[in-house]
Amino acid sequence: MPGRVIKVKRRENLGWLERTYLPMIIAGLAVTARHFFRNLRGFITGNRTTFVVQYPEQQLDFPDSFRGQPVLVQLDNGQPRCVACGLCEFACPTDCISIVPGELEGHGIERYPVAFDIDMSRCMFCGLCEEACPEEAIVMSREVELGKFTRGELIYEKKALLVPESKLKRRLDFLRSEYDREHAPPTPSDATDDA
Amino acid sequence: MEDHGSAALGRLLAAMPEAIQATHADLGDATALVDPAAVVEVLRFLRDDADCEFEMLTDLCAVDYLGETPRFEVVYHLYSVTKNHRLRVKARVAEDPCEIATACDLWPSANWMEREVWDLYGIRFTGHPELKRLLLYEDFEGHPLRKDYPKERRQPLVGPRN
Amino acid sequence: MSSEPTFLTERPREGPEDDLERDLHTEHQILNMGPSHPATHGTVKFTVELDGETVVDLDVAVGYLHRGFEKECEAGTWYQAIPYTDRLNYNSSILSNLGYCMAVEKLLGLETPERCQWLRVMSSELSRVADHLTRCGAACLEMQAMTPFIYGIEARELVWDLCEMLCGARLTSNYIRIGGVKHGMPKDFARTARANIATIRTLLADFDKVVTRNRIFVDRLKGTGILSKEECIRYAVTGPLLRAAGVPLDVRKAEPYLVYDQIDFDVPIGEVGDNYDRYLVCVEEMHQSLRIVEQCLERLEDLGDGPVNVDDPRVRWPAKGRVFNHMEELIQQFKAVTEGPRVPAGEGYLAIESANGELGFYLVSDGSAVPWKVRCRPPSLINLAPLPLMVRGALLADIIPTFDFVNMIGGECDR
Repeated sequence: MPGRVIKVKRRENLGWLERTYLPMIIAGLAVTARHFFRNLRGFITGNRTTFVVQYPEQQLDFPDSFRGQPVLVQLDNGQPRCVACGLCEFACPTDCISIVPGELEGHGIERYPVAFDIDMSRCMFCGLCEEACPEEAIVMSREVELGKFTRGELIYEKKALLVPESKLKRRLDFLRSEYDREHAPPTPSDATDDA
Repeated sequence: MEDHGSAALGRLLAAMPEAIQATHADLGDATALVDPAAVVEVLRFLRDDADCEFEMLTDLCAVDYLGETPRFEVVYHLYSVTKNHRLRVKARVAEDPCEIATACDLWPSANWMEREVWDLYGIRFTGHPELKRLLLYEDFEGHPLRKDYPKERRQPLVGPRN
Repeated sequence: MSSEPTFLTERPREGPEDDLERDLHTEHQILNMGPSHPATHGTVKFTVELDGETVVDLDVAVGYLHRGFEKECEAGTWYQAIPYTDRLNYNSSILSNLGYCMAVEKLLGLETPERCQWLRVMSSELSRVADHLTRCGAACLEMQAMTPFIYGIEARELVWDLCEMLCGARLTSNYIRIGGVKHGMPKDFARTARANIATIRTLLADFDKVVTRNRIFVDRLKGTGILSKEECIRYAVTGPLLRAAGVPLDVRKAEPYLVYDQIDFDVPIGEVGDNYDRYLVCVEEMHQSLRIVEQCLERLEDLGDGPVNVDDPRVRWPAKGRVFNHMEELIQQFKAVTEGPRVPAGEGYLAIESANGELGFYLVSDGSAVPWKVRCRPPSLINLAPLPLMVRGALLADIIPTFDFVNMIGGECDR
């Protein structure tokens, strides 16, 4: 579509009245006063129009797609859903994930991470680990308050990373809603190979 | 992506066949590999010729093909504002002597980009008015974008890891 | 740079040696501005040679934010470079994502689905608005005008709210993927976006009322930092700076990529090439970008829901819903993540119009899953190079607005 080239209108030549600063002072005051009264009304009625929140007491609600600190999904039996396949380790651009896999006797999940560390001082919250995970075991939570005094404290071990599935419902729901958007499978749905 | 630069490339081939070592137009980017000794003449021709009119040196960078000889390649991306076409000019630079003539006299935009290439690859541009490091500091040892520069190497002025 | 920065040169004494008849001896003063000067957003150091208050020469030292982006990209897969591109121009990270991913797609020869293209255009235009708001707002702040800065930041906050809804993060978007985007448009996005755009327009109107005809603002911008059309082209300056000098060059129009050829928008140009023109061009570009966003929203609503990624197993990670239950997709996922896409050997340069100018990516692949060379053509760095030319002969205070409208973003400039 052919667009036009427009020349911006320079409005630089000020009249003598404008050179006295007075009209702009009045206009500026009018604009700021309008903002002030709008904000004041919002403050009184509780329907706030400003962006400032009283941070530790008030917290913003992030949208569904928000990516916070990566955490491990904890199943009801207290174990991580992670099977220590190491895909997140591969996908991570900053190599902040390190996993030591182990094997469990018995049925159900056979492999589990003996150790699962994330170095939060290197993590850049890109979410590639979550995208790579074939088990929905590592997801981006809504946790962002990670301030610590030493770098050593920022190496999160498995215990600190485990979060019950119920607390991650919003993120998991969001992820699952995205599956519907994906391409239809190449073959019509057949019975699941390995349930 | 349309193939805009082919006409200019043909014009260049007709005018200076001895300086052109190879050409291709893969992915729609017209490219000429030129003799490093003649690179300034080629660029000057491309800038001044009425059919080419590359008034803008959009980008200048280098690539390290470690293991090949000559080892380095300096890549010029030219753009013509009036004709709206692009051309890529490449010249191979040996490891020793690692130098090529500067394009600063043709386009002042080459100044900083050549400094950057000198900084990161150690390719010396002869005739450059002030060839000093651009992004790194003067005491930096080595040229970090060379393939044989290890990514983990620490420099004296950079503090310890923790 | 025409003159070499040898400062404090010894001046020959003239006239008779008699102290009473000799002129007062003056010498030029060297002033260090930066690297962390409150009036320069971005870590950059100027060494200014002053004659009284007049700038005689200026030497720019960049590189304080150099993190080795290009070296880092050569160490990971093609995928792993995408989050790093967020950190180039952190005001408009989606644009950097887009440039890189489109360059990789060029090497792969991929054509993305229509829905994805509209999403990409929409998100990149939102980024452009955020970048221009930062530029104009911060310029006002550094000229001691706090109020318009707050309005600009309020509008930018609304843009970033939209980015957060779309990408999951405000700055480090990591949204564009090779062959698609990360996820589609959220359900209530269009409604929120329309409401926010209306608010942004009123804020821009307020911004305009407060500054455009303000005498202080006009006096500080008018006629300062002039860079002529010819100089701009010789220095390869692109983006709003070039357009302010009167050259209607916009990569979106000159070499339309994505669906820009189906979108109705105008290219604003200035006439003189001073800071006032740059301000006006930026403001007009914001209005045009908002227009584009509205067109994209309409089109995306028509297109409805559906895949936003190209259906190509070379680059697309398999559908997650299938990965959980099907062995085939699971194996494919393992292969895709551990090896990454293999890009055919070759080289390609792709330019997009970022907020600062032409953002180009020159990629060289040796056919493996790791980039051989990722070169980013940073518009910030190249636009900053003629800064000495713009301020030579001007007053010291003119450096501030000129530098603001050059809009050097440290992350992109130093990489």
